[in-house]
Amino acid sequence: MSRLAGPPRTLRIGYMPLVDCAPLVVAVRLGLDRRYGLRLELQRQASWAAVRDRLISGEIDATHALAGMVYGIDTGIGGPCEPMAVLMVLNHNGQAIVLAPEPARRLREGASLREALEVPRQRPRLAHTFPTGTHAMWLYYWLAAQDVDPLHEIEAVTLPPPQMPGALAGGELLGYSVGEPWAAQAEVQGIGARVIRSGELWPGHPEKVLACRRGFAALEPDTVTALTAAVLEACRWLDESADHRARAAHWLAADGAIDLPVEVLVECLLLPEGDQRTTRLRFHGDGEVNFPWLSDGRWFLHQFRRWGWLSPDAMGDDARLAELHRLDSYRLAALQAGVPLPRGDTRRSVLFDGMRWE
Amino acid sequence: MPRILLISDTAKPIGDLRAALEESGHEVVDVVADVGALLHAVQAHRPDVVMLDVDSPSRDALEQLAMLHRHAPRPVVMFSADDDEQLIRAAVGAGVAAYVVDGLSPSRLRPIIQVALARFEQEVQLRQQLEGVQQQLHDRKLIEQAKGLLMEKRGMSERDAYAALRQQAMRQNLKLVDVARRILSMAELLG
Repeated sequence: MSRLAGPPRTLRIGYMPLVDCAPLVVAVRLGLDRRYGLRLELQRQASWAAVRDRLISGEIDATHALAGMVYGIDTGIGGPCEPMAVLMVLNHNGQAIVLAPEPARRLREGASLREALEVPRQRPRLAHTFPTGTHAMWLYYWLAAQDVDPLHEIEAVTLPPPQMPGALAGGELLGYSVGEPWAAQAEVQGIGARVIRSGELWPGHPEKVLACRRGFAALEPDTVTALTAAVLEACRWLDESADHRARAAHWLAADGAIDLPVEVLVECLLLPEGDQRTTRLRFHGDGEVNFPWLSDGRWFLHQFRRWGWLSPDAMGDDARLAELHRLDSYRLAALQAGVPLPRGDTRRSVLFDGMRWE
Repeated sequence: MPRILLISDTAKPIGDLRAALEESGHEVVDVVADVGALLHAVQAHRPDVVMLDVDSPSRDALEQLAMLHRHAPRPVVMFSADDDEQLIRAAVGAGVAAYVVDGLSPSRLRPIIQVALARFEQEVQLRQQLEGVQQQLHDRKLIEQAKGLLMEKRGMSERDAYAALRQQAMRQNLKLVDVARRILSMAELLG
């Protein structure tokens, strides 16, 4: 392990109040940042738009970010264009799509999704969290795979996750795609049902990433490597035991990272026993979770093209991803933290509709 | 006069702006406190401008509206005096108009909102131009591909291939690029 020389370098790290910001909170609580010569100052944000603006302005150095959003900023879809860097993936899975009780019941009883949503007789309003974010991508993919056109047959809106259960209960929405604990909240309150977990939709999908501006990664390679190594260790610690997950849940509640009772957070962070584990929230998986697979990046760019946001020409994708995914700093950090490295830089995934991606 | 929707969902007193705005001759269509009400108010009142705090959780909802609708209301994001100048610049780059709340006076509001709307118009035009250029480039690529296909499969010269495409387009009353698209998808089908 190598640490940065001199006094600890302070980094301001943005995060949104969602359970998958846990690796950052753990890195600070366990003092892993100090071990690598850093002092992480975590700053809670109120919107992904604010995360983006503060990252671009340099008010924060790195952030917990929706994987899709990072590709959206790098390609300049629907907003400013700024070269970005994905340092590592923070977690796989742990999100879900929720529907109101009535359509959820119809779906459970064997109706097609079109029938359950009563498309095209009505144009249901479904919520996600950011135009180019992961929750939008999971929702659109899930709809299209079941023959519902996400661009024309539904009304997609963006809502802050804490407002989603209320909007669903109030009949303003028919469903939403979101990170935990906000899907669990619908079930707790009895106002909606989880119809699919994101880990069933794409087992082992990338969800949140640790991202920064590419300029920052290029100018301070040692700093981003140290940051990556510290957070990698936090991810490994989170996957070590149920006790660690429970402790993380207490820290999330105590540090004011998420305004929900600790029992709810424990529920979201604890893994079930048995086979289901591969479809549930994972932070490490011996590094398989954290490696910024190039094939994952290609998937997001492919989806952006599918929805008409990116020019159809895929030339240059590989060159873009080679710059965006910081494999070099990841590999160095993995060596420092003693995390195994995969042989290749792409992986094979199979999505819920049988689509293979590599 | 632009019609304004205020979002008051942070501890900062944005709701207080209402009087100042009305005093300077603006119409404030509503003051809302969550995204559900925001979406409803946008649909019901079609405001020109939505004013909200930089730390409002409603900002992502406006991003989505802007991405879906050309005529989405223009967000005007409010900063307090202690916000970083860089941040304000980044937010402006993100397509919002910025306004520093400190020293609020009605006479200062009017030009800010006018500039916000003017900038918005300009940006929409630029974006449309850019999309037009990208579309043209893409069309040209398809036409080149179709031409290449004719040259390869039919042994035509480049000039003849182009003439054949144009003739088809005129005969079927189609755009050149649509003929090219048909030829390419046919070729794909026939292998």
